[in-house]
Amino acid sequence: MKRARSIRLQPKLLLGLVAMAAVLAAILAPSIAQLYRARMEEQYASLAFGQASVAADLIDGDRVEQYYRTGEKDAYYEEIHRYLQDVREKLGLKYFYVVVPEDEVMYYIWDAGVPGEDGVCDLGDTDAYYGGGNELMHGAFAVDAEQTILITNNEEYGYLASAYVAILNKAGTPVALASVDISMDMIDQQIRQFLGLTLCVVLAVLLLSIFAYYYYVRRILIRPLRTLHHAAIGLVESKMAALSDFRVEVNTGDELEELAHSFQYMVSELNEYIQNLSRVTAEKERIGAELDVARHIQASMLPCIFPAFPERHEFDIYASMTPAKEVGGDFYDFFLVDDDHLALVMADVSGKGVPAALFMMISKTLLKSAAQSGLSPKAVLEKVNDQLCENNEAEMFVTVWLGILEISTGKMKCANAGHEYPAIMRRGGSFELFKDKHGFVLAGMEGARYREYELELNAGDRLVVYTDGVPEATNASNTLYGTDRMLRALNAAEGGSCRHLLEALHRDVDEFAGGADQFDDITMLCIEMKSSGMKKIRLAPTLEQLPQATDFFEGILAEAGASMKVIAQVNVAVDEIFSNIARYSGATGVVLGCSLKDSKATLRFSDNGRPYDPTEKPDPDTTQSAEEREVGGLGIFMVKKLMDEVTYEYADGSNILTLVKSL
Amino acid sequence: MEIRKEKKASALSMAIEGRIDTTTAPQLETELKADLDGVTELRLDFGQVEYISSAGLRVLLSAQKLMNRQGKMVLTHVSESVMEIFEVTGFSDILTIE
Repeated sequence: MKRARSIRLQPKLLLGLVAMAAVLAAILAPSIAQLYRARMEEQYASLAFGQASVAADLIDGDRVEQYYRTGEKDAYYEEIHRYLQDVREKLGLKYFYVVVPEDEVMYYIWDAGVPGEDGVCDLGDTDAYYGGGNELMHGAFAVDAEQTILITNNEEYGYLASAYVAILNKAGTPVALASVDISMDMIDQQIRQFLGLTLCVVLAVLLLSIFAYYYYVRRILIRPLRTLHHAAIGLVESKMAALSDFRVEVNTGDELEELAHSFQYMVSELNEYIQNLSRVTAEKERIGAELDVARHIQASMLPCIFPAFPERHEFDIYASMTPAKEVGGDFYDFFLVDDDHLALVMADVSGKGVPAALFMMISKTLLKSAAQSGLSPKAVLEKVNDQLCENNEAEMFVTVWLGILEISTGKMKCANAGHEYPAIMRRGGSFELFKDKHGFVLAGMEGARYREYELELNAGDRLVVYTDGVPEATNASNTLYGTDRMLRALNAAEGGSCRHLLEALHRDVDEFAGGADQFDDITMLCIEMKSSGMKKIRLAPTLEQLPQATDFFEGILAEAGASMKVIAQVNVAVDEIFSNIARYSGATGVVLGCSLKDSKATLRFSDNGRPYDPTEKPDPDTTQSAEEREVGGLGIFMVKKLMDEVTYEYADGSNILTLVKSL
Repeated sequence: MEIRKEKKASALSMAIEGRIDTTTAPQLETELKADLDGVTELRLDFGQVEYISSAGLRVLLSAQKLMNRQGKMVLTHVSESVMEIFEVTGFSDILTIE
C-alpha cells in the first residue's frame, strides 16, 4: 500500500512535467524556425538583389539589345560572362544569368554556369518560366520596378531565392533582367540542426529537472507523507496504546508540516477523548453492574418460590415478573395477613430506572405493613397514599390493585387505585374483565378516598391481575397486544395450574411481540380457589358463638355417620378450645375447619390472638380429692385425652390448633 | 340444656337434659345454688346429658364440695361418653355414681 502510493504520485508529476516540456517544444520550435526562415530569406533576398543590381548597372543595355537582336557574341560578351562566372563562384550563387522575358519563355543572354555543366544555357537558349516567375519577371521588367523576391522550392532546382533587376539601355528602357538565384537549401538544413539542438537541450534540461524534481519531491513531499503514513499505521498497530507519546517529525516548513501538526493535535485530542470515554465507560459499567445487583435485590423482594404455600390446599397462586431492560417499577406481592386472610398486590410505579425501583420498594413495604395490620383494602390504600404523599418531591405515583381474600369463605375485598381491570373466570366459564371502579393513583393526591368492593371466589374460580406491560406490549408494527388478545390467550389456556396459565399468556405475549424489544415489565398474578376438602367457618370469638361452633362440627360428623360418643367427645373438645379462645386469646376472629379422611376427622382452630400453646400446659393431678382439686387446666387435658392427636403451631400471625379424632 | 327439679323435704332431684358446656354450666350452677340450702341428698340424673365439658365439671366439683359438708350427692344414669370424661379427669373417684 505504501509503495503503491509513492509510485503513483511520482509518475503523475513526471508525466505532467514531460507533457509541459512537449507542449513548450511544440510551440517554441515552429515559431523559432519560422522566424529564422523569414530572417534568412530576407538576408538572401537582399544579397540576391545587391548582386543583381550591381550586374544590371554594370551591363551595357545597348549591347544586350544587340545580342538579343543578332544572337552574336563579342569580346564584351565574353568579358561579362567571365565576370558573372567569377561573381557566381566567389559569392556561391546558385545561378547568375541575364534573360529577356518574352511572353511565354525566357530568352537567355548570359548564363554564368560552368560551361559543359548540365542545364547551362547559352545565348539564344530559351526556357519556360517556373513557379510564378512569369509574373514576377514581367513585374520587374520596368524602370524603378518594385524589388520582389521569388522564392521557389522544387525538385529540379531546389530551394531558391530569385531576384530580378532590369537592365536599361541608354534611352532608359529595360531591355533584359539581371537574375540571381541563391540556393537556400542550407536554410532547411540549418533549421533542422537548430531544431535538433533545441530538442536535445530541452531533453537534457528535462532529464535534469526530473532528477532534481524527483529528489526534491521525495524530500519535501513523499518522505514527510511516508512519515505521516507510518505514524498512522504505527498508531493503529499499537492499538492506540501510546497515544500520549505520539510524535510526528516533519520539518518541511510548509503545509505538510502544518498537516503533521494537525495530525499530532488530532491524536492528542483523540487521546483525551478516548481517556474521557474510557472513564465514562468504566463509570457506566459500574453503574450497570450496580443496577444489575439492584434488579436482583428487587426481584428477590418479590415472593418467587412456588408453590408459595405448600401446606395450603384451599388455593393455588402463581405470579411472575419479567423485567424490561432496566430496573422497573412493576411489582406483585402476596402474603398471609393471618391464617385466613391472603393479601394480593399488583402495582406499577410510574417511570423506570432507579427512582421507580426505589419508589417500588417503599410502596411495597408500606402496603404490606398496612395490610398486615389488619386494615381493609380501602383503608390500606388510603393510609399508604397519605404516607407516600408526605415526601413525594419526585412526583412519582403508583397504581395498585389490592385484594384481601378471606380464604375460608372465598370472599375477597378489593380496592383499585388506578390499576388495570382484573380478569375473572368463574368455574367452567371464560375469563372476563371485571370493570371495577378505579380510584386515583397512590401518591397522587393527599387525602384521596378509595372505593372497596367485594368479590366472591368459589372453588374453581380464577382471578388474574397484571400490569400494563401485558396489554401494552407492542409488536414490530407498533400494534398493542390489548386486553382482548389477553383474554383470548387466557381462555385458550384453559385447564392446568395457575403457573401453566400465566406461562401460556406470557408465551402468547412473546409470540405477538416477535422480535420487538420488551418495552415494559411484564408482571402478572393468578389465584385459583380450590375445594380444599376442609370445610370452614369463620366466627367471632365470643361465647355466644359457641353453639355455632359445635353445630358446625357436629353437622359434618353426623353426616359422616360418626357415633354419638365421638360427637360428644368432639363437642367437649370444641367447647374447651373455643371458650379458651373467646376468653383469653384477644383474637378478633377465629376460623374453624373440619375435614374427613380415612375415617379420621381433622379439626382445625385458627385464631389471630396472642401466641399461646395450650399443649404445653402441665396436666392436672387427677388423683386429688374433691377438696384439693382445682378446675384450671382441666379443659385442655380433657381435649388431649379425648382426641387422638393434638398439635399446635403459630404461623402467619395465627395460633393454629389441629385435632385429629378417629371416627 | 333443660333442668327438671323435684324436691322432697331435704332431697333434691335434678334431671338434666342436653349439653353441660361453657354456655350452659352457669345456668346449672345458678339452679343448684338456688335450691341446695338444707338439702342432704342431691340426685342428679345424667341420663339425658349429651356431654359435659370442664365448665360443667367445675360446677359439679363445687356442688360435690358443698354436699360433702351437708349430705351426699349422687349421679345416676351416667352415659358411657360422660363416664369416660369422669374417668379421664379423675372425677369418677370424687363423684358418687350409681
